Amino acid sequence: MEQNRGNWYLLTGLILGLALGLIYAWVISPVTEVDTHPNLLRDDYKDIYRSIISHAYQANTNLPRAKARLDLIGDDDPALALAAQAQRFLAENGDTEMAKVLANLSASLQIAAGPAATPVPPTVTTMPEDENNSSSNNGGNSENDDQDSASSTREPTSEVPTSPTPSPTSSPPFILQDSSPICDPTLGETLIQIIATDGSGEGVPGITLEIALGTNPNEVFYTGLKPELGLGYADYLAEPGLTYQIEVPDSGLVISDIEVPTCKTETEDSYWGSWEIYITHPN
Amino acid sequence: MSRWTLFLLILLLGLGLGLVYGWVINPVSYQDTTLNSLRVDYKTDYTLMVAEVYHQEGDLDWALNRLILLEDRNPLISVENALKFASQAEYTLPDMFLLRDLHNALKELD
Repeated sequence: MEQNRGNWYLLTGLILGLALGLIYAWVISPVTEVDTHPNLLRDDYKDIYRSIISHAYQANTNLPRAKARLDLIGDDDPALALAAQAQRFLAENGDTEMAKVLANLSASLQIAAGPAATPVPPTVTTMPEDENNSSSNNGGNSENDDQDSASSTREPTSEVPTSPTPSPTSSPPFILQDSSPICDPTLGETLIQIIATDGSGEGVPGITLEIALGTNPNEVFYTGLKPELGLGYADYLAEPGLTYQIEVPDSGLVISDIEVPTCKTETEDSYWGSWEIYITHPN
Repeated sequence: MSRWTLFLLILLLGLGLGLVYGWVINPVSYQDTTLNSLRVDYKTDYTLMVAEVYHQEGDLDWALNRLILLEDRNPLISVENALKFASQAEYTLPDMFLLRDLHNALKELD
């Protein structure tokens, strides 16, 4: 009996010692982390790191260096991470300057990565009520009359790009190619979609767009912040019943009377559509 | 050997094993570190980025605000450390000049 008690208290001592050692090593005095890698930074510090990389790129325009620095952060897609951060900054604190700096680097990375597909406009399943009405009221034009309403959305320029996209900063002014309502129930949101292309039909990222609603101050957004939808793509969540105006400040282009259209499905159910704008270089 | 002595020896053995496990074999893993904990070469590159922007824009307040995030005693120390490492690591002359310019600007402020 005495002997058995002795064995147990030795085991108890060992476990107690282990527990005290682990508490000290993990809680009271854990290993101090110095010499860490940028990919271990807390998310807000990663944001700061990306911002400084973007600022430095703006200063030295050294893309390989910026890319090497971004690789340290360990984002799966650095261009996408920059674009997402730019959008977050715009949404959270309206820091348009910082968003533009981030968007510029994102755009440069996307351009350097090679041509990306310009988004094909969504297939229209039904015509917007307004367009149907106006078409029937004024007789429509012969081109539209020949088309079935289910495929009436005009295609963007479909030329295959043969040369690299020019830098957005050196682009000639944009002109309006098309501005029209679209009905696509699969979108699920009432969007104003802008697709900026160059003369060869390739998307142009980094284009500043200002959207105004009545006397409200302009909001700024940029093409290329959703690279998965195309380099020249940008969108804005619009509210039905309001009339918007979009300006491309660098080109002096103003597009007015943008509204969320009322659409109807094949079963005559109403839903809100979207608005699509194509802008392009005149060459 | 008394039971208490044996107990203390075993307790110390357990303590030692616990410390080895907690500090060496499986230390606390850090995922959310700050800029202050970056390795010296990354800190130097961070400082160089600030110097690049300062060289272009000349905004010393902006540079100071970014250097403060490194949490050194003084932003000047951050740049001095960066200069030291850049010299040891044989950074290119243009990069050295950028760091030196930032260092000089901060020194004047000091």
